[in-house]
Amino acid sequence: MRPLLERARDNLRDKEVVAVMSGKGGVGKSTVATLLAFLHKDTALIDLDIFGMSIPRLFGVVGRLHEVEKEGIKPFEIGGVKLFSLGGIVGDRYVVLPGANEGGVVEALLAFADLDGVKRVVIDMPPGMGEALLALERVAKFKPVLVSTPSKMSIKVVGHLADYLSERGVKPPLFVLNMAYVECGGVKVYPFGRGEEARQLAERLGSTIVELPIDPDFENYVGKIHEYRGPIYRELQKVRL
Amino acid sequence: MHEWSLALSVIQTVDKWAREHNVEVRKISLSVPIVSQLDISILREAFDMLKKESRLEKAELEVKVRTPRYRCRACGYMFGHEEVASQIEALVGKYGEEYPLHLVPELLPAFVKCPKCGSHDIEADLSIQVEQIETV
Ligand SMILES: [Zn+2]
Repeated sequence: MRPLLERARDNLRDKEVVAVMSGKGGVGKSTVATLLAFLHKDTALIDLDIFGMSIPRLFGVVGRLHEVEKEGIKPFEIGGVKLFSLGGIVGDRYVVLPGANEGGVVEALLAFADLDGVKRVVIDMPPGMGEALLALERVAKFKPVLVSTPSKMSIKVVGHLADYLSERGVKPPLFVLNMAYVECGGVKVYPFGRGEEARQLAERLGSTIVELPIDPDFENYVGKIHEYRGPIYRELQKVRL
Repeated sequence: MHEWSLALSVIQTVDKWAREHNVEVRKISLSVPIVSQLDISILREAFDMLKKESRLEKAELEVKVRTPRYRCRACGYMFGHEEVASQIEALVGKYGEEYPLHLVPELLPAFVKCPKCGSHDIEADLSIQVEQIETV
C-alpha cells in the first residue's frame, strides 16, 4: 500500500481543485495561477512547477523553507492565500529530476500539505504532459485552466493538451489567452496577432475564453504579487470560475 | 516533526482501509528508504500516540529502513549507499531540520550525483511503503 497516494487523495477530497496548465513554458502560467488563487477566500496555491520555480519569485519567498509540523507542511500565508511550493522544500537551487521520481514528489507534497480550512486549491502545474499531470490524475478530479499566448506554436501545443484532456473526459472551464494585447491610450493593440486559433480552440472545447493584457507595470509587483490589483487581475476577476 | 506527519498519514490511510474491510490491525510493516533519515524512535512514539481510537489501537509497528541499490542511468554504474553517504551528510548539515529528503526522499537525484560520472540521473526505489498489514 502507498500511504502517501491515499493520503493525497483524502487531502484533496471535497475540495475544488483548479489545475493551471500550458503546453509549453513561458506563457505566464504561474502568474495566472497566482492571480486566480486571489479571487476567492480559503484558497491554497500549490506550486508543482518544480522546474520553473516562478511562484517563489512572484511572492518574494525564494529560498524560504516550509516548516513541517504534526499536521504536515505549514503554508506560507501571503495576502490571504496559503502557499505551498516545492521551492519551499528544496530551497533556491536548480532541480533536475528523472521523470519517474516526479510522481512521488507530487504525491508527497499533496499528501503532506496542511489544507486545514481550505476549500479551493489552485495548482500551478509544470508545462506539458509529463509525470506531474499523470500523478495529479491519480490523486484528484480537477478543473483544468489552459493558458496560452497568441503565438501559433503555443496554441498548437496547448491544443494537444486539450485533446488529451477531452479523451480523458475532462473539460477545461476556462481558456486564458495571456499577453493578448497592450492597452495604449484607450486603444487595444495586438502585438502577437488576434489569437484567432485560440478562440476557435476554446469554442471547440466549450470553454470560456478570457484575454489578458500585457501590463508594463506588472514587473514592479514581482516579489509582492499579493499587492497587484492591476488590469491582468481585473480581467480575471470578470471570469466566473 | 516530519515523523509525526508521516505516522499520521500512515495511520489515517490504514485506518480507513481497515474500516472498509471491517478488520482490526495487529501489525504494520512500513518500509522507508535510508535517505529519509527518519528518527525511528520518534516515528514509533508518534505511531503509539496517534493510533488510539483507530482500528490500529493494538497494532505493532515494524519499520524497515531500506538501503537501496542505486544505478546511474548515464554510465550504468551500480552502487551502494556508502558511496553517496558523504553527499547526504553534507546535505543534512546544510539544511538541518528542513532536510528535503526527510520529507520527500524521491528528490534524491536532485541532490545526489553518481560517484563515478557526476550525473544526477540516478535510479533507486525511494518510496515510503506499507509492505504488510496483519489483521484480526
Ligand atoms: Zn554515472
